[in-house]
Amino acid sequence: MATYIIRRLLLVPVLLFGVTILIFGMLQFLTPVERSALYVREIPKNERQINSIILRYGLDQPLYVQYWRWLTGTKDQLTGERNGGILFGDFGWSRTGSQPVANLIRTRFPNTLDLTLWALGPVILVGIWLGVQAAVHHNGFIDQAGRMFSIIGTSFPTFVFGLLVLMIFYANLQWFPPGRLSTAMTVVVRAASFKSYTSLLTIDSLLNGRFDVFIDALRHMILPILTLSYLSWAVFLRVTRSSMLETLRQEYVTTARAKGLPERDVIYKHARPNAMIPVITLAGFTVVGLMGGVVITETVFDYPGIGKAAAEAAQQLDVITVLGFALFNGFILIIANLVVDILYAVIDPRVRLS
Amino acid sequence: MPDLLLDVQGLETEFKTPDGIVHAVNGVSFGLGEGETLGVVGESGCGKSVTMLSVLGLIPNPPGKVTAGKAFFFGQDLLKMSKEEIRHVRGAQISMVFQDPMTSLNPVLTIGRQLTEPLILHLGMTKRQAETRAAELLGMVGIPNAAERLGDYPHQYSGGMRQRVMIAMALSCNPQILIADEPTTALDVTIQAQIIELVKRLRDELGMSIVWITHDLGVVAGIAQRVMVMYGGFIIEEADVKDLYANPQHPYTISLLGSLPRVDETERHKLTSLEGMPPILYQKPNACPFAPRCKFVIEHCWKENPPLLDIEPGHRAACWVDPETGRSRV
Repeated sequence: MATYIIRRLLLVPVLLFGVTILIFGMLQFLTPVERSALYVREIPKNERQINSIILRYGLDQPLYVQYWRWLTGTKDQLTGERNGGILFGDFGWSRTGSQPVANLIRTRFPNTLDLTLWALGPVILVGIWLGVQAAVHHNGFIDQAGRMFSIIGTSFPTFVFGLLVLMIFYANLQWFPPGRLSTAMTVVVRAASFKSYTSLLTIDSLLNGRFDVFIDALRHMILPILTLSYLSWAVFLRVTRSSMLETLRQEYVTTARAKGLPERDVIYKHARPNAMIPVITLAGFTVVGLMGGVVITETVFDYPGIGKAAAEAAQQLDVITVLGFALFNGFILIIANLVVDILYAVIDPRVRLS
Repeated sequence: MPDLLLDVQGLETEFKTPDGIVHAVNGVSFGLGEGETLGVVGESGCGKSVTMLSVLGLIPNPPGKVTAGKAFFFGQDLLKMSKEEIRHVRGAQISMVFQDPMTSLNPVLTIGRQLTEPLILHLGMTKRQAETRAAELLGMVGIPNAAERLGDYPHQYSGGMRQRVMIAMALSCNPQILIADEPTTALDVTIQAQIIELVKRLRDELGMSIVWITHDLGVVAGIAQRVMVMYGGFIIEEADVKDLYANPQHPYTISLLGSLPRVDETERHKLTSLEGMPPILYQKPNACPFAPRCKFVIEHCWKENPPLLDIEPGHRAACWVDPETGRSRV
């Protein structure tokens, strides 16, 4: 197990290198002038200044020199100040956010994480539970209802579903508000007495003992969560169901029954762990899907997360910001895959011991 | 006949399929005496396994269903038992070993865990007691360093060793009956011989009855006292093992034996092959199900399915024709 994890961890730098190469490659589609936004806030208009910036930050240098500078940044010869350098967390200046890209991520990402965690948890837990139930009661009521639910879920485009939900619950019924917080609660959160422990609003509000803030935040999140997770729910249910059906047909399940085990043990102790292997793969993909899904969902619900910021940046051709987000997303996916691979090993001894 | 340990009468099992209802077992009756080894022979799809799975209530329902019959075991009808009742028979008094040891052990649970489960469940042992006993059992079936290997997973065992584990697991609660469903089919010939020897040795030591399902008549000759041949979900012949080999009465049995090379043969003769496949019965047949493949077939075979007739004491066969003379028995 330990060697497996170490070997898997050794892969992380390789993957990170791959991601940076990819993003850096994309940056090369920009002109040197546009790329200077990696280092300066205002791109100057007159040619002389432009040339001096290109010279100063080596934007005309060979690719490997530029790549290295992109990673580690440049030192100002007068002040000794470092400029740029994604390894130091400097992703350049976001034109649309009017702040460094890294800052933008720092303020927006917790909101997105808050949203995706609330979406992911129920998806995984209830999705797996429903999938198992559907397989155990094959062709029964839960199975049929689940199948209907997942067919609708997989065939609805996210933005259509989001708009529909918005129309019904926000416009017509007025049950749930859009945005992040109501004004009254924003005042509470902005106050000095409200401490930020995790930057995740729902968790912080609980830690501060402000249950009203928690409820308010959740109320604002319910529609985005619903939109974001419906597709994932549906896919989870289907994959768990079919994997479980397949597993229940295996001979070792008959062996377990022939041993005289109660059906509960046969299903939950013998069949389910085996059925989880493809589901874990799916969990990895789901994280990817959710990160993509937030772009649409947050835009539809005017939710101030990283997805909405990315959409705004893309609309205004703010490539530096978009690629900064892409880089950040790459990191998250690498971590998600790492977690998935470790989970494989936990569940399947054939992975752990080979 | 001495008291029967297991007495199956008129067992019928059906499967619902998209193409219609398949009659997999059609009125099968047989008995198993104490300490007896019964061989069940037939091609794939003859209803051998389904018969035994039906007795233990292990037919997946749906699509399968036992529609008729009785199966008395210590005076109780297994087929009438509740799920909870039959659970206490399975693995404790009647246990099973399956065909493919590569798939019949759970890949994500340790051998020790799988082996101790029935001990804890049926014998009420503590985990520690069960582990000690599990190590003994592994030793009994010939696995070296048994205690250390309890923590291993199935993929760390070879095929032959896994089948030994299956046997150890099946015998862990000292069952009265062991049902072995083609336990050597998936193994190398040398390993096959080892497994058969192992089961014979354990039978002599522990004194349980065995139902040995196989399509290998050679294997049956080595282990069984009595043999029943199945075809299309019917028992078509049943006899003492020696009697069956010396004096087969059903054309199907004759064909099976004719396709088998013998080492004790003095004169050379060509091995015969039996063309075709066993039928899938969507209706209960009103002709002999073997008639399409039979070389002794007469007109009456197409009109009525032959019942199992006593040919001589202890030898039953279901055929309208006496294969020795070629004359009708009707």
